[in-house]
Amino acid sequence: MTKHHRHLWAGLGLGALLSFSAPVMADELVAALKGAEVGVSTYDMLKAINSNVASTLIYDPLIEQNANHGYVPALAESWEEAPDGLQWTFHLKKGVKFHNGVDFNAQAVADWLAMFKGTDFEYYLGAVKEIVVVDDYTIRLDMTRPDPNLLYNLSTPFGGVMEPGARKADGENYGLTAAVGTGPYKLESFAVGQETVLVRNDDYTWGAANATNTGPANIERIRLREIGEASTSFLELQTGGVDMLLGVPQEFLSEAAKLPNVKLMTMPDQEIWYLVMNVTAAPFDDIRVRQAAALAVNRQAIKDNLYGGAGNTPSTFMISSLPEEKVADQFRIKFDLDKAKALLDEAGWVAGADGIRAKDGQPLKITLWTQSDSNFRRVTEVIQAQLKDAGFAADILTFDSATIRDQYKAGTHQAAVRSYFYDSATILDWFFGGDRLGYPNISMFNDPKAEELRKVAMTGSKTGEEFTKNFIAYHEYILSQFPFAPIYEPVGNIAFNADRVIMPETINSPVFQRAAIMDLKLAN
Amino acid sequence: MLGFIIKRSLLLIPVFFAASIVAFLLIHLVPGDPVDSLLTVGSPPEQRQILTERYGLDKPLVVQYGIWIWGVLQGDLGTAIIMRRPVADLMADALPHSIALGASAFIFYTVIGVSLGVTAAIFRDRWPDRAIMTGVLFGSTLPSFWLGLLLMLVFSVWLGWLPVSGARGASSLVLPVLTIGLGGTALVARITRVAMVETQRKDFVMLLHAKGMHPLRIQLLRVLHHALIPVVTILALRIGFVLGGAITVEVVFARPGIGTLLIRGIMQHDYPVVQACLLMLSTAVILGTFLGDVLQALMDPRARASLT
Repeated sequence: MTKHHRHLWAGLGLGALLSFSAPVMADELVAALKGAEVGVSTYDMLKAINSNVASTLIYDPLIEQNANHGYVPALAESWEEAPDGLQWTFHLKKGVKFHNGVDFNAQAVADWLAMFKGTDFEYYLGAVKEIVVVDDYTIRLDMTRPDPNLLYNLSTPFGGVMEPGARKADGENYGLTAAVGTGPYKLESFAVGQETVLVRNDDYTWGAANATNTGPANIERIRLREIGEASTSFLELQTGGVDMLLGVPQEFLSEAAKLPNVKLMTMPDQEIWYLVMNVTAAPFDDIRVRQAAALAVNRQAIKDNLYGGAGNTPSTFMISSLPEEKVADQFRIKFDLDKAKALLDEAGWVAGADGIRAKDGQPLKITLWTQSDSNFRRVTEVIQAQLKDAGFAADILTFDSATIRDQYKAGTHQAAVRSYFYDSATILDWFFGGDRLGYPNISMFNDPKAEELRKVAMTGSKTGEEFTKNFIAYHEYILSQFPFAPIYEPVGNIAFNADRVIMPETINSPVFQRAAIMDLKLAN
Repeated sequence: MLGFIIKRSLLLIPVFFAASIVAFLLIHLVPGDPVDSLLTVGSPPEQRQILTERYGLDKPLVVQYGIWIWGVLQGDLGTAIIMRRPVADLMADALPHSIALGASAFIFYTVIGVSLGVTAAIFRDRWPDRAIMTGVLFGSTLPSFWLGLLLMLVFSVWLGWLPVSGARGASSLVLPVLTIGLGGTALVARITRVAMVETQRKDFVMLLHAKGMHPLRIQLLRVLHHALIPVVTILALRIGFVLGGAITVEVVFARPGIGTLLIRGIMQHDYPVVQACLLMLSTAVILGTFLGDVLQALMDPRARASLT
């Protein structure tokens, strides 16, 4: 073999190796899912524990949320609630078909709702007494009690309507090899832990009105890749391996901004960071100490110094876009170090020479629990420093995320830095309900008046207006008792290759999902 | 030899059960509860008890172990509590990726490691030996996480030759194999060199030199043959790590595999997944050790006598 031949074979070998790489298609959007959406194990929404943007593209819900958390028609073109909250009637869109050609109608909805029984999500319809098919395109839910969560549950990805026949026929494989909804995209393939490939549903014309484009979608194929490691997904964006990152960690924002052709955009998120205090453990069994700690948290400094000015400075327990967040101003928790010090003085905690307060010879020492990832550590260290300014000596104790939940159940904690993702006011019931002490009620807050207000909000809200009013009252009371202090409300960061992706000017959905992708285009 | 294999095989049974107990207890005794991951906002307080009973988590540990191991012996690894699929299916999805990566890396570091070890031994105390051993020392100290990112930066970002991550196509295997392979190469090269150098000092090697046999033939045919016995044993032991030794690399390169599955299972306290992964990895190590013993016995009659 001559030298020339050897080079030829080497070249062919390298060419063959590289040819195994997947081709990049011009009409295909490749996006890396955000960290919180990595790890979906099935698109059977009655089995899935978590969901990602693909769920919202395969399935349409009956109703959707817009950017202000108002409900807009999706598969239900309208709905009515009985004045006593004991009946909901949904009028369905006509001419809608599932991906397998089956007609979407009231019977399909009834059969889908019936499938909740016996699953871990049965409680979604816990207040539904009977599902009544009124006619082909009208369905009614008769309730045992008003359910404040019903509309919210129906609007989440888990409320995506699955074709009952397909789910039954595919059995255990449903959600893996097939997932049949009425959404703008059909499932082409799903490699668990790797990627989901979707192809456009060309018959789709019934999209919800929160997108400008009601169908079909502009992009023919979407490949959603699961890359758990943030450094890797950033390098993929840099090399053109992906067109979009649906989540960019804060630490990569400045680097991403430097990349040519890459643009950054922010979306509202569903996350709140907060300091929770155990109201049954000293020194936080004294409301003045809790209030002092809450007022010592300088949210603006955290936002500016840790997050480069991005995000919001919350003053309540909820994300700022929720109507139930709009509490009266006197209940909002705002930074006021002088008042914090005065409250501690009033409670008998006297500042020492080192700035740490003491009472009856005991220093104002607390243990601050946190989780092991770097973001938690960083925020907790800042909280530690800010509490010190008021006179607290805080030690940090770190756990992994699963262990810390077990530790909370023991009730021995004093305070912890935490975050949650949720976009409904019922989060108050979850974290402050008196019958959920330990976990998820980490504050151990169990107050008779709060329980009364909670009951009214959870079971006595007959209409949407009553729901908001009752939850504001419940929220204001919790704020007045200072079982927590808000810390930070992040925004979702999205990075995209502007040479490939044309982003819509406005996105009218709470997070980047179906409505955003319907209006998204690829550059030619 | 057959008697030796039968005796060694019988010993595997109690070892397997001991490994199964450890695999079961490891995840059950660490704090955490899979039901916490199943409970979502809005679920009623009694949902915890409902789910605990549904997944048999209210039963005593001994009973839970009995149910699980009985299923395993019948080929049923159970159903993942959080991932909601039969564990056997999850493993069947992950295993080909782990085998492809692990086996490729194994072949890579065996071939390169033995070659470097032999070269270093032949040129003992001269510059090729020093250069190889310095490189090997450097390679063995690089954390795979860091090395993976470095390789991505060079071959994907700067040179643009290879994809950054994923498991699509043969080219996506190159960087993960290099990341694992460089660490493994260091081990194999060092062991090969030490074994070669020790063998070079044996009397029969002196005799071969005295008889006028070509030095290179002595090294490659006689010395290497003897030196390979400990190398093969070590490599056989590493077969067990082929499947589970790439956890970090799988995460960095966003590749599916047993390591990724195990990490997800641990994070979510998905007991059946963790138990099955640990049992499979420990069984692989047990079988690798068994294979190492058998190979050693085949290659060295003295070892066979001592092992029996």
